[in-house]
Amino acid sequence: MHPLKNLSVIRKLVQISAFLFFVYGGSVTGYYLADKVSGALPALSCAYDMQGADLCTLIPFQHQMDHRLGEAIANGGNMMMGLMPTLITLGTFVVLFVLLNKAFCGWICPLGTFQELLHNLGQKLGLQRSESLDPVLVKRMRPAKWLILLLLVFGFPLLTGIGWVNHDLGDPFCKICPSRILTTLATGDSSQLYIDSASKTTLALSLTADFLFGLMIALSLSVRQPFCRICPMLALHAVFRKLGLLRLMKRATPRCDRCGICAKACPMDITEIHTEMQKKDVTFEDCTLCGRCVEFCPYKDVLQLKYAGFPVFSADPLYFKPRKKAQRNWEESNLPALLRGRQTTVQVKRR
Amino acid sequence: MKTNIYTLIAMLLLSPVVQIPEVAAQTTAGPMDESLSAKTAGAQQHRRGPKRFLLKNGDGAKIDLWKPDLSTLPLTAEHGSLTLPRTGVDNYHALVVEKDWGYLKEALIRYQYMHGKPSGHSTRELTAAEKTTFEIVPEPVPREHQHYRSGQSWNFLLRYRGAPAAHVPVSLETSNGTELSSVSDRNGIVSLRIPDDFSLLEAGERDRRSAEFTVSAETEDAGVVYQTRLSAEYRVNPSRWQSLELGMYVTGVGLLAGGFLGRKAAGHA
Repeated sequence: MHPLKNLSVIRKLVQISAFLFFVYGGSVTGYYLADKVSGALPALSCAYDMQGADLCTLIPFQHQMDHRLGEAIANGGNMMMGLMPTLITLGTFVVLFVLLNKAFCGWICPLGTFQELLHNLGQKLGLQRSESLDPVLVKRMRPAKWLILLLLVFGFPLLTGIGWVNHDLGDPFCKICPSRILTTLATGDSSQLYIDSASKTTLALSLTADFLFGLMIALSLSVRQPFCRICPMLALHAVFRKLGLLRLMKRATPRCDRCGICAKACPMDITEIHTEMQKKDVTFEDCTLCGRCVEFCPYKDVLQLKYAGFPVFSADPLYFKPRKKAQRNWEESNLPALLRGRQTTVQVKRR
Repeated sequence: MKTNIYTLIAMLLLSPVVQIPEVAAQTTAGPMDESLSAKTAGAQQHRRGPKRFLLKNGDGAKIDLWKPDLSTLPLTAEHGSLTLPRTGVDNYHALVVEKDWGYLKEALIRYQYMHGKPSGHSTRELTAAEKTTFEIVPEPVPREHQHYRSGQSWNFLLRYRGAPAAHVPVSLETSNGTELSSVSDRNGIVSLRIPDDFSLLEAGERDRRSAEFTVSAETEDAGVVYQTRLSAEYRVNPSRWQSLELGMYVTGVGLLAGGFLGRKAAGHA
């Protein structure tokens, strides 16, 4: 299969380009926040990265909860004025989000790309990997992203603004976000990889952040997208996913019952793609619109990526067969196989 | 020598008065005898109220507040006190004070972040604009929501009539009493390390103090001396209570835990 006909290869190229742009693109867009592309990107491109081209929408949300809405509530100010910055940020986010929907996760997010590249490295190193997590574990983990969104992105910052909790909880999600550490390290800045002993709160947050960063790196080698599963951005996307122009659509057939390759291909282990037989729109809350399920669906047009109702990529047996072979070749050409191959060559030569 | 001259001949005092400076330089008559110092004290976090400054010897000075859209607002000091009015827009503004003594033209600039509606303008536009004949321009200004910190190196551009001023002696003084000097390079850029000069810092303890630094330079053209100053606030470097080494250890623990959990998950699968 020609690599440029392989959707996963195309996606990887887009992801790497997006990574380079959003992590280092400040040299193109400009240094100051006002120069950034949107200030409300629906992906984890970190504002702490001084060379970045844009910043994730979660940081303005936290600041606005703390400094605008929270303070307006505490001081008895004009609530509309307190809410207005959040509404502007939300509006910017929605305008962008409508264009690509949850594909911001699967195609654009620098942290998602980093985890995928690490997983590819794990494949090449021949590490023992888990293709699919236990469905019970997957279901148990799903509420975590909602909890993080409600508590760390909106709850604690708002309580900080009102004055009920200390100021160190003004942007608690950023303080634990692995993207903050990753993107700053990627620009040669190690200042975010610290343990902050300023207060018990900062100590707890920085310990969590560094532990989570290490955990994510190691887990990514053997488990697909470990942090994405608890990412509050995924939850925020889930709220607005019905507005997005890009959707994952399914035209279920009785053969779907016996197949299930789509669920196995899904990096987020969404088994419902396989089991859902009624709904046509199967852009589930954990979906990142990466399109792998469509690639690995062997039945014509059963799964489709549609943009504004028009199919842009459809399941096709003519695509499926070479794609499956390309996947097998990719997985088999790893370091242990290479070493085994050399050993065999040496043994043959000795004989 | 230059530093001493600056200290002797400077005439304007700009100092935030969240707490009015306890020590302010006394002034005497005549520009060459007047002294300037910028001194501030106390923690100044999340200041969203009106910005007030003390302006010493500002009689006859031209004071303008440059907004992010490059429009200017003329201001007047009252009894040596200057309050920046709300402009309704956010981002950096530039307070520019100029005084013309005939044989001496002095300028003082301070970039001040103000809150309001999104201005829609980049700080680049403000720094690129020629605000006075001879000026010191931060290259760059700390990004929105960032601050100058002790121990950090920052670049400053010296610009005379809109063009880089090469090989000009530059000095930096802090309200904590440190003085240092350097010379601008052929591109008019000088890199200065903000002194780590806060006293009585305790390791591991957060310190919210701030102080003022002033970068100054002087040049002469057609018998007229041009003096320029840039003043700004700087804070204690948080590395005093942050540990990178410990952070790396904790990340290592996370890596080990992830490796263990990953193997367990893979084994289970």
